[in-house]
Amino acid sequence: MASDPRPDPSTPLVVDDLSVVYGERQAVHHLSLTVRPGEVYGLLGSNGAGKSSTIKSIVGLVPPSTGRISVFGWDAQREALQVKVRIGYVPETSMLYEALTPREFLEFVASVRALPRTVASERAESYAAAFRLGSELDEPIASLSMGTRQKVLIIAAILHQPPLLVLDEPLHSLDPRAVRIMKELLGRYVAGTGRGVLFSTHTMEVAQQLCHRVGILDHGLLRSEGSLAELRERAARGDATLEEVFLRLTREDEGLDDAVRAFEGT
Amino acid sequence: MSWAEARRISDVAFTEVCLQAIYAFRQGNAPVGGTPARAAQTARRRVVQSKMLVAAVLGLFAAGGAGILLDAPTIAARAFFGVAVTVPVLQAGVLTGLLSLDVAFLWWTGLQVLPTFLASGVLATLEPLPIDDRTLGRVAGILYLRLFDLPALVVLVATPLFVGLVLGPLAGLATIPAVVCAVAFALGLALVTGRAFVRRVQGSRGGGGRTFVRWAYLVLWVLPAFAMFGFAVAAPGFLALLGRTIAAGPSVGRDVLLAAYPFTFAALPPITVTGPGGLALDSGGLAILAAAAAAYLVVAVGSVGWMMRSVRRLGIAPPSAVRDAPASRSGLVPHGAARAVLTKDLRIASRTPGYAFLVLFPVLDAIAIGLFTFVTGPGSNGALALGLAAVTTAALLATFFGPAFFAIEVNAYAYARTLPITDRSVVLGKVALVAGMYGVGAGLVLGITDLRVFEPGIFVAFIAAEAPAVVAAAMFELGWLFRRARSRGLAIVNLYAGAWTAIAISIPGLVLAGAPLVAFHLLAAAPIATALLVMGLIALAELAVAAPFALGLHGGRST
Repeated sequence: MASDPRPDPSTPLVVDDLSVVYGERQAVHHLSLTVRPGEVYGLLGSNGAGKSSTIKSIVGLVPPSTGRISVFGWDAQREALQVKVRIGYVPETSMLYEALTPREFLEFVASVRALPRTVASERAESYAAAFRLGSELDEPIASLSMGTRQKVLIIAAILHQPPLLVLDEPLHSLDPRAVRIMKELLGRYVAGTGRGVLFSTHTMEVAQQLCHRVGILDHGLLRSEGSLAELRERAARGDATLEEVFLRLTREDEGLDDAVRAFEGT
Repeated sequence: MSWAEARRISDVAFTEVCLQAIYAFRQGNAPVGGTPARAAQTARRRVVQSKMLVAAVLGLFAAGGAGILLDAPTIAARAFFGVAVTVPVLQAGVLTGLLSLDVAFLWWTGLQVLPTFLASGVLATLEPLPIDDRTLGRVAGILYLRLFDLPALVVLVATPLFVGLVLGPLAGLATIPAVVCAVAFALGLALVTGRAFVRRVQGSRGGGGRTFVRWAYLVLWVLPAFAMFGFAVAAPGFLALLGRTIAAGPSVGRDVLLAAYPFTFAALPPITVTGPGGLALDSGGLAILAAAAAAYLVVAVGSVGWMMRSVRRLGIAPPSAVRDAPASRSGLVPHGAARAVLTKDLRIASRTPGYAFLVLFPVLDAIAIGLFTFVTGPGSNGALALGLAAVTTAALLATFFGPAFFAIEVNAYAYARTLPITDRSVVLGKVALVAGMYGVGAGLVLGITDLRVFEPGIFVAFIAAEAPAVVAAAMFELGWLFRRARSRGLAIVNLYAGAWTAIAISIPGLVLAGAPLVAFHLLAAAPIATALLVMGLIALAELAVAAPFALGLHGGRST
């Protein structure tokens, strides 16, 4: 039997028929999506919709039950090392070596990614300065705030300037200045390049501003996918915000008034 | 709220401490299978098992001390360094040693488990809840005491019981204030030094000479573990000193001895048997003894009170870093992947006493035995045998502790698996650490004993012949652990969790490291060059088998 043809090596990410199962619970159902060159793709969904499971499969943390993931044509399961070389990942929670300082942690990441000394130092210094990280770089990560840890993770993800950034709730716990930097960065990072960005978020406003296309996940299923204009059309809401479109497409708007009333009087 | 309420809350909180100690969820570990209730039950059971292990060691100390007390007349019949020692003086000396061991071992246990307790974050979780200050303080105090409950109980019960059985009920009763003070002082010392650790080691900034300072702290941290060894080495000299001081009658030296902890309490049981005359005490000596004992009891009570007040503050304070210190100007210095793993592990160990202990123990043990060799006399066969024994223990300890370094990968494991690093690099980095521990330990023995043994050629050949076996053992253990991690998830290995996993995996490792050593000793009758050659060939053969097993793992696929 002939093997499947290698996907297009210029496409940052192709997820084809992905399913993720934990024990008896299926977190992702036959999901297919593509991040095109020069594209910021937003993965939207409620809590437990399957966003993080999808992302964890892409970065190699959770094995898919079915389906195939390829990054610039490399198979995520069979050629994991090649895939990891091309990905920069910001996890949902700050799972770091608590006993290292950010400088020591970044040095470890730069070593594993085989970055030359001058390149690693210049980039780390430049990114740290942009996030206004000073003495924090030499303090143990255990003593840092959540926001500072998130900044360290973002620096670690872009230190090797990967062609594909995979960001799981990257703006979580960042201060407004850092959020602004990230908003500006993501658009510029892919503009006119073959790079791609996949990021998950709950914040519709951010997705609306940044994403060329979004995929709406609901209970592990991709309910809808496309640009904001296409989604508005599908939701039959011509002037709606992405939040309204999201709620309509996932039917999360049903019973909203009752839900709000439940909190009244508390 | 009442003490009963504090106990109820602390019971719930202690389950969280156990869960974090065993499964380290706060460090990013994935949830375990099964129901949360079952995971909690398993965690509590494993913590109890570990506490029972520590308690058993303390029980053995007490039984061993009682055994020596039983045999005191025979032992006292021989002079120590030419000094005659009476039976009561010997008994007081033995009890001094036993109490010192209890304090040192409980203190060391506290130092090992305190970081786990703090990392559990349980006190910070309780803080915002509507619980009054006094109850929160009590909860924190109870949680701290529960870390030691079984071991402390054994010290409090077994020691007076054994002493009572050997020396009589009155002597057993007289031991009670001694063990109460021992437990109180050990727990207080653990908290004081633990607090210093959190401030100076865990919160220590990176770079510069701070690494040296951290390791210096950690050496002090490990030293209590050597109390037993130190006491065994120093016991004859100590007994001679006791005999001389007591026999000299009233003097400043004797008064200082009577007032010094733990001799103050150790003197009480023999006095109940022979009266003050057994220790040649006059009324002045008795008055000093009574005053010192009363003072120590007051300090012990104060120490417990201070602990109960202080644990809460320690539990909610983050590691204190120097916030206003200027940023370092040093850039990143990337290395090869395996060296990066080694550097990362050493940096983590320098801020984590559990790992630092594993790194330092084989080295300090080699130094201790090496020093003992040094004093045995120049050029003696005994010195050579002891020197080789020191190298042997360095090899076996490095091999025994090797698997524990795998547990460092538990920290941030989820993140590290997304990096393009191969299993081969991780194994090589950790094997380099184990080999380094052996190399430094053996090298120090060589340096210390060189002046005494006068056979550096044999020594160097012995160290070199054993080295491939140590590397082979580390490779086998780590290769096995990687395979196990792939099929069952990562094993967490620390004093409070997964101790059995580490021990089980260490057994074949010890066989590999031990085989060339056994061959060397079996060939004692053969020329030493032949024995060394056979030893080296066995070690190389082991390496030839273990290396492909570990380094060919999954064709070097990423972690």
